[in-house]
Amino acid sequence: MTRPAGVFDVRYEQDIAILRTIPQWVALGLFLLFLLLIPQLFPSRFLLNVINTILIITIAIHGLNILTGYAGQISAGHAAFMGVGAYACASFMTIWGLSFWISLPLSAFTAGLVGILFGLPSLRLKGFYLAMATIAAQFIIAAFFLHFKPEIFRGAQGMSIEPIQLGSIVFDTQQNLYYLIMPIAVLMTYFAQNLVRSRLGRAFVAIRDNDLAAEIMGISLFGYKLRAFFIGCFFAGTAGALNIAFRWTVRPDQYSLMDSIWMLGIIIIGGMGSILGGVLGTVFIKVLDEMVSALTPFLGRVLPSELASRIGASTGLVVFGLVVVLFLILEPRGLAHRWEILKNRFRHWPFTYGH
Amino acid sequence: MYYLFYFTLSGIFLGAIYSIIALGIVIIYKSTKVFNFAQGHLLMVAVLFGATLSHKFGIIGGMFVSVAATAVIALLLERLTLRPLIGQPLIAALLMTIALGYLLEGGALMLWGEGLYKYPELFPAEAIMIRSIAIDQQVIWAFAVVVVGFTAFAVFYKKAVLGKAMRATAEDHQVSQSMGIRVTHIFSISWVIAAILAYAASIFLGSLSGGHYLNSHLGLKAIPAVLVGGLDSITGAIVGGFIVGLLESLVTAYLSGELGEVVPFIVLLIVLLIKPYGLFGMVRIERI
Repeated sequence: MTRPAGVFDVRYEQDIAILRTIPQWVALGLFLLFLLLIPQLFPSRFLLNVINTILIITIAIHGLNILTGYAGQISAGHAAFMGVGAYACASFMTIWGLSFWISLPLSAFTAGLVGILFGLPSLRLKGFYLAMATIAAQFIIAAFFLHFKPEIFRGAQGMSIEPIQLGSIVFDTQQNLYYLIMPIAVLMTYFAQNLVRSRLGRAFVAIRDNDLAAEIMGISLFGYKLRAFFIGCFFAGTAGALNIAFRWTVRPDQYSLMDSIWMLGIIIIGGMGSILGGVLGTVFIKVLDEMVSALTPFLGRVLPSELASRIGASTGLVVFGLVVVLFLILEPRGLAHRWEILKNRFRHWPFTYGH
Repeated sequence: MYYLFYFTLSGIFLGAIYSIIALGIVIIYKSTKVFNFAQGHLLMVAVLFGATLSHKFGIIGGMFVSVAATAVIALLLERLTLRPLIGQPLIAALLMTIALGYLLEGGALMLWGEGLYKYPELFPAEAIMIRSIAIDQQVIWAFAVVVVGFTAFAVFYKKAVLGKAMRATAEDHQVSQSMGIRVTHIFSISWVIAAILAYAASIFLGSLSGGHYLNSHLGLKAIPAVLVGGLDSITGAIVGGFIVGLLESLVTAYLSGELGEVVPFIVLLIVLLIKPYGLFGMVRIERI
């Protein structure tokens, strides 16, 4: 990491600090202020809806990034674990009558446990084979909610909850929901960023880079892989529970294989093994998605309707596929790497060395 | 009894289609170490080509043009998108073929729309009667194609120089290159073979359900078929395909259709846990 000249680390605390200089503190303060003021700056319900969705997905993406980007265990079933969180939250609230504030951590925990269950194959499988096992998990979990106990999970119709409350505040507008989701997303991002710098996170990276070497260093592979699954799915479960607070319903088709793949695409685009990358990737893909869906009505006016509907239906697929293909070929380290380059350019300007 | 026999036959037919898709995946994997998630999408494109081009070029002409078109698409995909990824981590190639699948699906949707295209009738409609049991001719044809394909590939990999070169490439790219094998050619050839196999499967899929852009989802079912049999085994692909097809058909018949959709994946999970390299796959000794 490059720093301005004259900034030296003289104590260990300085060396490991995330924020090292005063401008960084100022930037963080301004950013948090900006986050707080977003509903005032963008009062449009549509924009707030998009922002809320981005925040929720970011939480799930952090989980996937820890599991796949840091620990190297490819999971192609992350959306299903998000679904587990959402269904668990709905069940706790409707069947047991728990409040959302207890259901949220409980359902995150439940998703983590289910994650451990489907992480068990990592005892014998790695790499590609494990990814296949998680695809199987995706199908099995989706089928479970669709067909198991229709009197509880209500099949394809799904479960729904009442808008959640805190005292007299009802979280039923986009603005109120934003103030529910944003602090949790910020906290989880902070948690993720610190976790990957801890002993646990370093163990994950060691397993990803070379599992044999990691084991020789005294890292219990199986134990740490299961921990990666637990933490990854814990994040997914939190995102799922928030998603049901946000949408009030949960259906099996909201958490399909396509969504899991979509999340893998996001961490590729953002940058594997970078918390910042997860945030950047989510924003990038979600904004792209919204632009594509805004394109459809426009096409309808310019082109004949048959052609317009075809193009409208297919642009989403083509654009996502194309973006992932281009990133894989041109910038496999993702947006986070680009951001680092940009920062260094800025810092060294007008000189061209140092990056 | 008749019920059981009917569903066994349809399971064999479905299994034959899965086997041919799985064979394509295995052949690409054997030489390039890339699991082609887009094989189902190649199949879908092949069906749509077959259904629409036969009106233009006649049935036989349409067949040749469709095979050529599918092969060209496969070649382009390999050359433009997967070649640059050699040496990148596993997840890159994995996501690349998935993204290619999206591209093909979106492209097909753009070109052909959501309509269902009728496939030309290649097989005589009347069934063959064995005592009182009617067997559709397409089932027999499908079975024959699988048997012939299996034998051909088994001989090809054992005896032909090209087949041996492909096996060597599968073992180690660097060493095979040093021995004078054009590794990049081998990659292209495997993708062309896979495209031809996708076309072969598309004939049967087309006569079963016609051409539609969602046909590609059949490729998802080929994943359990490939892995149950073993990722690098041709025998495995064939056996795995039939296991998955029969299971799906029989479970749908006797238990429920929804369960039939999931059973292949449950079997996949169990097989992965007990025999991670599949029933016929080569066991690699590595620590996990």
